[in-house]
Amino acid sequence: MTMPACRVARPKTVEEAVRILADSGPEAMIIAGGTDVVPNLQMKLFTPRVLVDIKPIRALAGITMVAGGALRIGALNTLTEIVDSPLVQSNYPVLVSAVATIAGPLQRNMGTLGGNLCLETRCLWYNQSYFWRKALGGCLKKEGDVCHVAPGGARCWAVWSGDSAPALLTLDAEMEIAGPRGSRRLPLAKFYRNDGIYRVALGRDEMVTAVFLPARTVGRRGLYHKLRIRDSIDYPLAGVAVALEVDRNGVCREARVAVTAVNPAPLLVNEASEWLVGQKYSPELVERVAQAAIRTGKPLTTSASTPVYRRDMLRVFTRRALEEAWKNGRD
Amino acid sequence: MASHSHIGKPLPMTDAPGKVTGLGKYADDLTVTGMLYGKILHSVHPHARIRAIDTSKAEALPGVKAVATGKDAPNPYGILPIGHDERVFALDKARYIGDNVAAVAATSAEIAEAALDLIDVDYEPLPAWFDPLESMQATSNWIHEQKPGNVEKEYHHEFGNPEQAFAESAFIREERYYAGEVTHAAMEPHSTLAIWEPDGRLTVHSSTQVPYYLHRTIAEVCEMPMSQIRIIKPLVGGGFGGKSEVIPLEVAAPVLAKKARRPVKITYTREEVFYAHRGRPITIADLKVGLTREGKINAVAARVVQDGGAYCGYGPVTVLYSGALLGALYDIPNVRYDGYRVLTNKPACGAMRGHGTVNVRFAFESTLDQLAHDAGMDPVEIRRRNLLKAPCITVNGLRVTSYGLPECIEKAAERSGWAEKKGKLPYGRGVGIACSHYVSGAANPIIRSNMPHTTVNIKVDRDAAVTLFTGASEIGQGSDTIQAQIVAEVLGVKMERIKLVAADTDLTPVDLGSYSSRVTFMAGNACLEAAKNIRAQVFAAVAKKSGCDPAVLEARDDFIFSTRDPGLRMNFDEAAVAAIDFHGALVATGTYAPPEEARGGKHKGAGVGPSPSYSYSAQVVELSVDTETGQVRVHRIVAAHDCGKALNPLTVEGQIEGSVYMGLGQALQEEMIWNEGRLMNPSLLEYRTPTTLETPEIESIIVESNDPEGPFGAKEAGEGSLAATIPAVANAIYDAVGVRINSLPITPEKILAALREKEKQRGGKVARSNGGRR
Amino acid sequence: MNKELIRLKVNGEVHEVAVPPHKLLLDVLREDLGLTGAKRGCDDSSCGCCAVLVDSVAILSCVAIASCYQDAEIVTVEGIAPPGTLDPVQEGYALAGGAQCGYCTPGFLICTKALLARHPHPTLEEIRVALSSNLCRCTGYMQIYESVQLAIERAQAREAAKPAPVGR
Repeated sequence: MTMPACRVARPKTVEEAVRILADSGPEAMIIAGGTDVVPNLQMKLFTPRVLVDIKPIRALAGITMVAGGALRIGALNTLTEIVDSPLVQSNYPVLVSAVATIAGPLQRNMGTLGGNLCLETRCLWYNQSYFWRKALGGCLKKEGDVCHVAPGGARCWAVWSGDSAPALLTLDAEMEIAGPRGSRRLPLAKFYRNDGIYRVALGRDEMVTAVFLPARTVGRRGLYHKLRIRDSIDYPLAGVAVALEVDRNGVCREARVAVTAVNPAPLLVNEASEWLVGQKYSPELVERVAQAAIRTGKPLTTSASTPVYRRDMLRVFTRRALEEAWKNGRD
Repeated sequence: MASHSHIGKPLPMTDAPGKVTGLGKYADDLTVTGMLYGKILHSVHPHARIRAIDTSKAEALPGVKAVATGKDAPNPYGILPIGHDERVFALDKARYIGDNVAAVAATSAEIAEAALDLIDVDYEPLPAWFDPLESMQATSNWIHEQKPGNVEKEYHHEFGNPEQAFAESAFIREERYYAGEVTHAAMEPHSTLAIWEPDGRLTVHSSTQVPYYLHRTIAEVCEMPMSQIRIIKPLVGGGFGGKSEVIPLEVAAPVLAKKARRPVKITYTREEVFYAHRGRPITIADLKVGLTREGKINAVAARVVQDGGAYCGYGPVTVLYSGALLGALYDIPNVRYDGYRVLTNKPACGAMRGHGTVNVRFAFESTLDQLAHDAGMDPVEIRRRNLLKAPCITVNGLRVTSYGLPECIEKAAERSGWAEKKGKLPYGRGVGIACSHYVSGAANPIIRSNMPHTTVNIKVDRDAAVTLFTGASEIGQGSDTIQAQIVAEVLGVKMERIKLVAADTDLTPVDLGSYSSRVTFMAGNACLEAAKNIRAQVFAAVAKKSGCDPAVLEARDDFIFSTRDPGLRMNFDEAAVAAIDFHGALVATGTYAPPEEARGGKHKGAGVGPSPSYSYSAQVVELSVDTETGQVRVHRIVAAHDCGKALNPLTVEGQIEGSVYMGLGQALQEEMIWNEGRLMNPSLLEYRTPTTLETPEIESIIVESNDPEGPFGAKEAGEGSLAATIPAVANAIYDAVGVRINSLPITPEKILAALREKEKQRGGKVARSNGGRR
Repeated sequence: MNKELIRLKVNGEVHEVAVPPHKLLLDVLREDLGLTGAKRGCDDSSCGCCAVLVDSVAILSCVAIASCYQDAEIVTVEGIAPPGTLDPVQEGYALAGGAQCGYCTPGFLICTKALLARHPHPTLEEIRVALSSNLCRCTGYMQIYESVQLAIERAQAREAAKPAPVGR
């Protein structure tokens, strides 16, 4: 498989990068670690005229505590750097738990947080070679007008397959986005559009520059459970992140549950916070939240393993993650 | 007898330096001046008539130097003489998505790829066959007109009197087993560099396990005499059978090179490797086994359907191996076998590690476990009661010369703590045992003849270097090292003195190739013969020079010495020169052909299965099952393998562990997933071979039965262990949670469904305390 | 596509090559610099055969665009030891059966080298995790772990054999 011919721009500043994006329009594509982008380019899923390599922008890397006690993680920080960061480890264990499951160590050495949050959605009918898609006749997301996952539908169900996003959702993370009109902040929950094709709320001339984790979520106990066939390399087939604040008496004071790899976006399970806050642990409560998780997660045949099984595991993993987090959360 | 200097020592592989420095060259590492890049156009239809192909636009693209279609090379070929049904590029019909339709050679890979898009193929799509059971009922739209009903081959064997035996059986089990399709997934994608030489000859460097068959096929397809073609096998990055027949790119590159009169290299993408395939077929096995009250297996009957894909390949051999080895591991007096190799519109299956034995062994060993359960017998004990007594001839005519299975079973049971664990672990954790065996090379060649299966030459010159010319193909299994060890041992010289020239048809004599685990046994015996001949010549010269009887001479550590006269001692350099002086030249040839009595019976299909000797394996798997997710965690696998004699324990252990690993992948996670003839997972991301994290500790135990005909007693080590792993896993899952999964791979989903089914049958009661145990 | 002159520092030597700007590091190493040690085993960054060190971090050269790595110190398997010598890691794999067909070996060597540079005495679990994005189809990984252990022993032995520093 060959790369499509294209120029490579190497901006040194965010402003310069944004300018290139604005000037090139849909012909430009950002590349950072390349672990997602390059295979997609070789499959000719994208044929940009300009690749904008943002690695030279030094301001995009760095894990720092900022005013008010929030943590800023640069879009260019690699996934390995995040897992190894004492600041992240001690303050946001659920993020470490999730990021440590992404692909394998080689991919984590290259892949960046920004890249993981902007992954292309995935589908067995889409992430295939040019030849394969030609034999198929394309799909809704590319080169065709039929969805092979939900024939007859007009919506693309390519699945959000990132592991870091659900963890960040449980930590109320915010995105920092740069564009021609400057920088803006957006809650991560609003960043994803739950659409297999138009996956994120990011303008063609915009780029993610950092992620902010608020001070109020420091110390939330939690973890990420990932369904996969292999314990390394694989994308998630389903995933659930849980973060809780539990007081001395075992009463839940704050709770977030988010699911991934089962919809075109990572999603918070809205009922979770409502039902858990103010409650003590009980198996029935946890099971009820787990049931809510499978109402949020709607897996289709976009990846290996059946939707039924992935849904099933979402329930089991949610329950288990809540049980473990609750246990850990007790002082 | 004095101990050996090299034999039985865990020596590092002779080609390791090139491999650990990155300096060793594989086919895709090679480039030559003026080299073009070839790309193949594949069919987008699973079954379609090709009305016309217009290549004019592709030819007009700057940088394109040649475009070839079926008309450029219409001669059919195939690995078996009875199965010449492939053409390098489809002539009349395309028969699977990915079938080869045309190819381009251009000055860059990018241009070649762009040119493929400019070739217009006028297809007439035809109804296609994807399911083997449906395909074998087909009354029209046959995949090959000469194969009515889409059955490539069927065989029906009966030995003893199975019907009567079943009638006399105390316990009978009848089960259907399904095995999904798996593939070799060697790390090296296939690559071929074909060089059109200025003198009109052709040199082909290719990632092959079978240079000899490639040599013959290129001659047939390119219509050139074999004498004008040279095949060189560079380092090969793993084969496992995936490079053991002629793969389309190996013919496409020479065809393009001949047309362009330039060197052409084709390297497959990983996706193309999946279409080239030749892996283990989807297998549907209906198995019936009968057991006496005493725990003796008295009959086995099997009906096996294999989904062979669109071309013959090794198919008839696969389906015959499935039958021939099904009843030959144990002492089973009555066997019936009905095997069907069916054509479908998918990539061709072929030989994969454990060729033909793996899926039926899964079925048999799973069934045996159930019969043990029925008879209230320990699974180890039932296997003890059904052993052969070697030497013997099995009911289907296989000659067994050595049989280390009893020791394998005892050692595996002992080292795994079987007696303390079987049936005694907490619910969710279990152990399982299974056995397997494999041939040490086929006793009958693919192309029938009485010629040697392998020939080696040794030359010793005045530099006293020992050069071994061997056609055997090192593919990572260590065959170069083993041959060098044998020669060094016999000549009593240091390993460094052996120079090995291998698998280059201009220089090395014919060896049939690295398949069916034949090289240690066959090339090893040829090396032994040639080296003994050299040694005799050296001893004759030394004896002459020193006036002694050659019978008192021995060779060791680079010296020739007398066992009688301590003063008589000559270093090998002097001795070699003396021998050249005496004989004029110091050269010898060694050959090997299996003995007549090893070649099997006379029934139709009797040629497949016979081997000069068989390896044996017994394995115990210990694992846990998460009953809420169905996920399996394998903790440990103890694998005892009878390799006759471990010429090199390091490489033998590597082979056992690698086989177990591959079996484990098939048992739990590997499967080619099809949708209307479309391979849904043609990548290493989606076809999931195990990583370090799912692979458990594998403890390999070498058992040495000292085969009377193997070189130094050696036999097969590279394949026989694979088949036992799969049923051992299945049996351990049963021990852990009381459900039996008859379908591969054993996914968490299947386990969970079975657990729920079991709960339902118990009226919703979950017996967590002792699960499915008796 | 117009070529672009890029400078790459590989195995301590600076190379200037004219390549298309989007050309992948793996292809530049193999085709333009003749360093064929790093291999291509897949097309979707999932096998690890192409691993090289970039500023001491192991990465996949098959998804790295060469022109983006002009400021980095790149080390390939050919460069992990001075010519004519073997690094303890290479000795370990050569002697303990870590290399069967050898195709995945360069990637394993690079990842092992990176691991031992960070953790000279890793536990078996740390080794397994560190090598978990490298696929090997031959060994079943057991002899790879033994190779890593041997490499550690050999590195220690070399360290012990070094003459003690003179003076204070």
